[in-house]
Amino acid sequence: MAKSNSWRQFKAILRKDLVMELRTKEMVTSMGLYALLTMVVYQIALAEAGDSFDVRLVMPGLIWVAFIFMSMLGLNRSFVHEKDQGCIDALLLSPVDRPVIFFAKFAGNLLFLLVVEVLSLPVFSFLFLQGREGFGNPIWMIGVVLFGASVGISGVGTLLATMTVNTKGKDVMLAVLFVPLMYPLLRAAVGATFAAVIGGPGTVETFWLFMAWVAGFDVIMVLVAYGLYEFVIGV
Amino acid sequence: MKRNPLAEIMLGLGGLLTTAAFFMAFFWAPGTVYPDGRIDFAQKIFYFHVPVAEASFLVFIFTAYYGIKFLMTRKRIYDTKARIATEVTLFFVLLTMATGILWTRVEWGVWWLWEPRLTTYFILTLLVIAYFVLRNSVEDEEKRAVYASAFGILAFIDAPISFFITRWLNSIHPVVFAGGEGSGLETSMLITFIVAQVGMLMLGYAFYQLRLREEELTERLEALKIEIGD
Repeated sequence: MAKSNSWRQFKAILRKDLVMELRTKEMVTSMGLYALLTMVVYQIALAEAGDSFDVRLVMPGLIWVAFIFMSMLGLNRSFVHEKDQGCIDALLLSPVDRPVIFFAKFAGNLLFLLVVEVLSLPVFSFLFLQGREGFGNPIWMIGVVLFGASVGISGVGTLLATMTVNTKGKDVMLAVLFVPLMYPLLRAAVGATFAAVIGGPGTVETFWLFMAWVAGFDVIMVLVAYGLYEFVIGV
Repeated sequence: MKRNPLAEIMLGLGGLLTTAAFFMAFFWAPGTVYPDGRIDFAQKIFYFHVPVAEASFLVFIFTAYYGIKFLMTRKRIYDTKARIATEVTLFFVLLTMATGILWTRVEWGVWWLWEPRLTTYFILTLLVIAYFVLRNSVEDEEKRAVYASAFGILAFIDAPISFFITRWLNSIHPVVFAGGEGSGLETSMLITFIVAQVGMLMLGYAFYQLRLREEELTERLEALKIEIGD
């Protein structure tokens, strides 16, 4: 009984976020646009590198830089809405378990992040990788990294964004707290992406090693974030 | 809110021991020798750098510990304790960074290297600074305490990573007490190191306690001011 109630509450909160997004399309457009702008900046960064420069070498780093900043934009948006429209207060007043709020917001943020990542990756390849060597390993491996790292980003991000939305200078604060905490995850994500992109002997093992690192981070950090959420959202 | 004689004794003793270790390092413990026979003078910083680094990790435990205690009990004193533990951590972290950078310049020929230990420690420094930036940007007192506690707990996760990473990954940062062949120190070096380490931990304890007392007195003073004002 209690379990099915939580499940219904979870679905209701997630549905609310999805419906709002489908109507306004605000998060996906702003995050997607941000990703496009980042690519323009990358063009500037690589402008003098020359045609012989293998973009694949820096591609993993470039995409994760874009994704981490993009995710902060989305996370911040997702809680500014809740706060400005008083939705979070209503949620707290209603008999919904706090962990359910965490998992519903987490799932919503993860979903939006994944959608924009999956959309922007082909654009990146279209803009920077045409006429160059293809990926060394099967493309699904990149999908695995995207999912694994996005779980950690959204999990911890949901907790931190809940806090920073109540601070002065919301988005700057989020970056200050978020980027150093995410370092181990991002480092492993870049490592795994690199192994997937470059290919060659031994890269599959390296890939799974980095993915184990990502999975470990996800488990520990999401559990801690889940444990702390109850305290943070109540005040 | 009484005087804490133990803290004052620790302050004196810690100061004495770290100073003694300084002299022992230069006049008693043998220096390590380069292959060409020159004495490796830069190695002497080991007796300062490692104790402050260990102290920074150990004091940071209290940030997380009091953070958890605060969230459990919601007593303000635990938040104050966590904050002061983080202040002392910041002090040790900055000393570690400064001495480490000097050593890498001499030994590795560069001021900075993106090497696992240095990288994770740099992240730790940023997290400790972020803790205070977060505190400053929340106006509501209870929110500030809860957020800082939560962030302190999250940030602490980096400390064991930074500590153990030289043992997990290929790192050129030296691991002195790794166990196995060739690790460990000569007796006189070990004694010097232990004296420095114990002294530094005493100083850490004393800084923490004295800062806490100062903070309590400040709060009492504020409370009295308000009372008189009314």
